[in-house]
Amino acid sequence: MKKYFTVFLIVASLLVVALAAISSIGRTVSDLPAPPAIGTVIDDFKLPDADGKEHSLKALAGAKGAVILFIATKCPVSNAYNDRMEKLAEDYQAKGVNVVGINSNMTEPAAEVKSHAAEKGLKFTILKDEGNKIADRFGATHTPEAYVLDANMKLVYHGRIDNSQRPEGITSNDLRDALNELLAGKAISKTGGAAFGCSIKRVS
Amino acid sequence: MKKRLSLSIILAVALGVIAAQSQTPKAPSSVPTVNSAAAAEIRVIDLDGLKKLLQRDANEPRPLLVNFWASWCDGCREEFPDLVKIDQDYRARGLNFLSVTVDELEDKAQAASFIEEMKAKMPVVLLNVADKEPAIHAIDMNWDGALPATFIYDKNGTVSYRHFGKISPAELRTAIDKQLGTKQ
Repeated sequence: MKKYFTVFLIVASLLVVALAAISSIGRTVSDLPAPPAIGTVIDDFKLPDADGKEHSLKALAGAKGAVILFIATKCPVSNAYNDRMEKLAEDYQAKGVNVVGINSNMTEPAAEVKSHAAEKGLKFTILKDEGNKIADRFGATHTPEAYVLDANMKLVYHGRIDNSQRPEGITSNDLRDALNELLAGKAISKTGGAAFGCSIKRVS
Repeated sequence: MKKRLSLSIILAVALGVIAAQSQTPKAPSSVPTVNSAAAAEIRVIDLDGLKKLLQRDANEPRPLLVNFWASWCDGCREEFPDLVKIDQDYRARGLNFLSVTVDELEDKAQAASFIEEMKAKMPVVLLNVADKEPAIHAIDMNWDGALPATFIYDKNGTVSYRHFGKISPAELRTAIDKQLGTKQ
C-alpha cells in the first residue's frame, strides 16, 4: 500500500512540475490591458491626491472636458514635459478643459509626487493611483501619456503630447490640436500619436 | 526511514525535471552577426535602415531578438545585464540579437559608454528619426512607445513575442527556446 502511495506521490509531483513548465511556454504578448477605444465613455472614478484627499474625475473635469496625463517624478521624458504640461493646464482651464495628472508608478509614493509637483511648479491636480488600477483601466503604458475626454466623458484622443521631447524639435502639437478641434466643435482629425516614454512601474 | 526515502526520491525527480527544463541544447558552430558594428560601436541608422535590419533574409533561419532602449530609461538600464547574459548564452545556439537605442543623436556618446560599461557584444544601432511615431508603428502597431520594449522576430520576419517594460529573463528565455525549437 505504502509503495503505491509513494508511486502516486512521484507521479503527482512530476505532473505538477510538467504543468508548471508548460504554462510558462508560449506567452507571446504583453499582459498589459488594452486601452479603451476612441469613442468609449469613461466611467467615473475616485482617487486621492498627494495629500490623501479624494477626488472624482467628474468633479475635476471642466465644463467642456478633461485631459488626463499619466506622469512620473523620475522619468526624464515626463520631466521634459513639465513646463509644457503646466502651460497646457493654464491655457485650457480658461477654456473649460481641466488637466488632471495621475501618477501610477509604484516606485513613486504620494509624498514624492507632492514634493516633485511643488519643485517643478505643477499646479494642476495630480492623483496618486496606488496599485495602478486606473492605469490598467486606461491601458496606460508609459509616461507622459495623454487622454482627452469630452464634456460627456467620451474618449476623443489618446497618445502623445507632441512629437518631440525637446521643445525646439516640435513640429506636431497633437494634443493641443485635438483640444482646439474639440473646443471648436470639430471632429478630432488625429485621435492619437506614439512617442517614446518610460514604462509605468506597475505592481506585479 | 521509508517515508524520508520516498520524499527524497520525489524531490530528486522533481529537481531533475526542473533541471531538464532549463538545460540548453547543443550550440551550432557558426556565430553570425546582424551587422558589422563592433562592440561598443554604435551605428546611426534611419527608419529605412532599421527596416532593412528587421527584414529577414530567406537564407537566415536564425530568429532575431530586438531590444529598444534609451540611456535615460531606468528600466532599460536595469534589464540590460540580463540581456547581455542572454546574448552570451544564446548567440552560439542560433539567436541573432539587435540592440536599438532611441537616444537622441547628441546622446550617442552616453549610450556608447553605457554599452561599454555593460560589456555588451551584440550589435547596437541608434535610431535617428525626427518624428518617432512612424518608426514606432513600423516596428509594431501594438506598441505605443513604452520603453524598454523587446521583440522576437521569427525566420519569416513575424513578431512572435513582444514585451513592453522590463523583461522577465525566465519568460524571455522560454520564448527564445520556443523559437529555437529547443523546447516545446
